[in-house]
Amino acid sequence: MTNDQQILDSLKDPSTRELAFRHLISKYKERLYWHIRKIVLNHDDTDDVLQNTFIKIWNGIDSFRAESSLFTWLYRIATNESITFLNQRKRKMMSSLNGENDYLIENLESDAYFDGDAWQMLLQKAIAVLPEKQRLVFNMKYFEEIKYEEMSVILGTSVGALKASYHHAVKKVEEYVKTHETRIEP
Amino acid sequence: MYEEENRQPEFLKRPKTNPFRTPDHYFDSLEDRIMGGIEHAGKTKSPSARIIQLLKPALGLAASFTLVYLLVQYPINQFFPKNTNQSVVSAATTLYLNDDSTLNFSFIDENSLVNAIFSDEATNIPEINQDEMLAYLSSGMNDLEIYSEIQN
Repeated sequence: MTNDQQILDSLKDPSTRELAFRHLISKYKERLYWHIRKIVLNHDDTDDVLQNTFIKIWNGIDSFRAESSLFTWLYRIATNESITFLNQRKRKMMSSLNGENDYLIENLESDAYFDGDAWQMLLQKAIAVLPEKQRLVFNMKYFEEIKYEEMSVILGTSVGALKASYHHAVKKVEEYVKTHETRIEP
Repeated sequence: MYEEENRQPEFLKRPKTNPFRTPDHYFDSLEDRIMGGIEHAGKTKSPSARIIQLLKPALGLAASFTLVYLLVQYPINQFFPKNTNQSVVSAATTLYLNDDSTLNFSFIDENSLVNAIFSDEATNIPEINQDEMLAYLSSGMNDLEIYSEIQN
């Protein structure tokens, strides 16, 4: 059972519903995990958000009308869950931190499952300080290589606006890297 | 200028690598953990949430009936006013007030006006029964006091 339509058909039947959902998790768990991880950065937070995402999918699967592909619907839920999670954390941490992106940088630096070198850390920090929408677009385009058309459905934004966001994000990342790169060169 | 706009930033030329990793065998048991989480979330639903869940269809039905009733009732009230008596009364009151506002006291004789006022007052005083009056006056008196009052 690897086809999305087969999974959806089996989900409608109460006798095969649980098994079909296991197939759905199996098929999308890694892609959704990495999508969420790029947004929240920390593994433990990603694990929480991923669980909540699949619970939301389980509860809302009956409302899926197949107007978009299953993949874009799942990504939309995962993106919304990640943004909601970050906003909740930011509200809690706002009093103790200076900027709203400081939480992400702190999250990145404290992550035990970050194996990158100094340059990769710099790149992740440059992405972390981007405005939310630009950060999402940059991650989805640069790392996940999602097409603008699919991204448009996931984020509910026009293709033109997404291209502009990505262009601005690239410029900002480049500027950040240039400004801070000298500090990591030997 | 054109070249500046179109040149590719240096960092995009570097190979893309994923600096993040997961704990060992993280994905192996993910299905079980998520299904366990779904089961747990279903069990720990608050009683109020469960009651709302149960009442939802009934509340929805009640809301739709109310909506349909209002949608039907409003045009009926608009096109077929039920309380015609009220409109008749209000029309009569308007007429009376209009008439009243046109009263001209210069046409009324002073004596007849005084008579009219006093005759109204006289008719408003209720007639009192003699026995009731006696019972009222004698209340709170004993027999001896009543007897002495009668003698006087």
